[in-house]
Amino acid sequence: MNEDIVYLDYAASTPLDPRVAKFMAELLVNQKDSANPSSVHLAGRRASQLVDDASAQLANLVNCQPSQLVWTSGATESDNIAILGATRYREADGKHLITMPTEHKAVTDVFRALERQGFDVTWLKPDATGRLDMQQLDDAFRDDTQLVSIMYVNNETGVVQDIAAIGQRCRDRDVLFHVDAAQAVGKLPFDLTTLPVDLASMTAHKIYGPKGIGALYIADRPRCHVEPLMYGGGQQRMLRPGTLPVAQIAAFGLAADIAATSMSADFEHVQMLRDRLWAGICPIAGVARNGDAGNAYPGILNVSIDDIEGESLLLKLEPVCVATGSACNSQIQEPSYVLQALGVSDAMAQSAVRFSFGRMTSVEEVDLAIDRYRDAVEQLRAIAPEHVA
Amino acid sequence: MTRDPYGEALRAYFSNPAHAGDIGGGTEVRVDDQGVRIQLALAHAGGRIESLRWRAWGCPHLLAACEAFCSEFEGRGCAELLEFSGSDLMQTLAIPVEKTGRILVLEDAIRSLGNTACAPAG
Repeated sequence: MNEDIVYLDYAASTPLDPRVAKFMAELLVNQKDSANPSSVHLAGRRASQLVDDASAQLANLVNCQPSQLVWTSGATESDNIAILGATRYREADGKHLITMPTEHKAVTDVFRALERQGFDVTWLKPDATGRLDMQQLDDAFRDDTQLVSIMYVNNETGVVQDIAAIGQRCRDRDVLFHVDAAQAVGKLPFDLTTLPVDLASMTAHKIYGPKGIGALYIADRPRCHVEPLMYGGGQQRMLRPGTLPVAQIAAFGLAADIAATSMSADFEHVQMLRDRLWAGICPIAGVARNGDAGNAYPGILNVSIDDIEGESLLLKLEPVCVATGSACNSQIQEPSYVLQALGVSDAMAQSAVRFSFGRMTSVEEVDLAIDRYRDAVEQLRAIAPEHVA
Repeated sequence: MTRDPYGEALRAYFSNPAHAGDIGGGTEVRVDDQGVRIQLALAHAGGRIESLRWRAWGCPHLLAACEAFCSEFEGRGCAELLEFSGSDLMQTLAIPVEKTGRILVLEDAIRSLGNTACAPAG
């Protein structure tokens, strides 16, 4: 990474762990590791073994069976297969679905597409901290409800939902429960043997693995099934055909293995950084923290500031790289739909900055971010006119 | 790679707002429209602009446009303000079309400043 850049956008994508990068590079250049894992010859079996090893590593991280994992291109595809595949499978039993407006676009856009196809979606409004009110969920269930999709850790605010409580309510009613766990896997304990979760989306590039590879967990449970969205080849139990990208999968496996052993140290590290960052910027007049400070993954800190224009703030912060809105739509300088759903005013949402950090972030980088933020706010306020009466 | 939405000229004006500030006792206009706030101040003598200052709340494109305008118009005739068009600034600073509304607010503010400056003292 460019040494001038102070990268505090880990929630968008983490850097590759050097160990993962080295391993993946070796696999990519080694001719003997280039085989199609579906081939039955020696090289194919060797590639297949690499995939099996990665399955075991990721399964170990989330405590499930390797056979319950399907490789995908990332969490967006996992979300699509889970939601579209499950609704297609259960369509004859009902067309009512439940989710929240604070989900990632990879979920909300799928539900909106389903609405256009005649499905009835209940959008549960979060409270002001971003958490789901369980009574609201209880009231939303209907006889024809087939699927609930709620993310574990919110990508913009870090807010953590009570996955166990939501899942149990779904189990009690024979409703499938999908969790977008892209921001949680490898960072918080996520035990799929004990959690009542049916479908879970994961991705490598949020845990120091490569982009372009993800996974979908599908529980072994009656009536828990997804219809495939693509056809051809029959790989992965015909759920997700296509030649498996062995190097990416193996790298994801190693990233998962590293995460399993360093999760608690990583957590303490980001908690220390988050507390330091917040202590540094909270004395600035007009600063407000978005989300639920008591129920949040500490690798994400989302702050708004009164009467500061977000795009100018972002440019003033350079070379500190942070996000406004979610990364996938930050080219469009509109207030974050997640923060708007929390009741944050348009002006405050527009000024919101998401700092996110991880294993490689240093104290010095956080201190520099504090200084830049303070200076940027001071400069922008110094040139702003008074409101016209 | 995502295209840098800010060109070199825009970054230069945004980073060095040398004309940001006030002019005590000068001609001043304020505009609050389309989600932006602009304040322009002018000191002139004999129909010639001696100094220009700006304050603004808005996106980098607007702030850079304010600075570029002040840098370019000091020393010119006040009447030129009445003919000001934002399209040249948009081209110079490579301002995207979706920001046109904000630049038109600046254009209105500049023309209003010209009207006030050119009005006969009464």
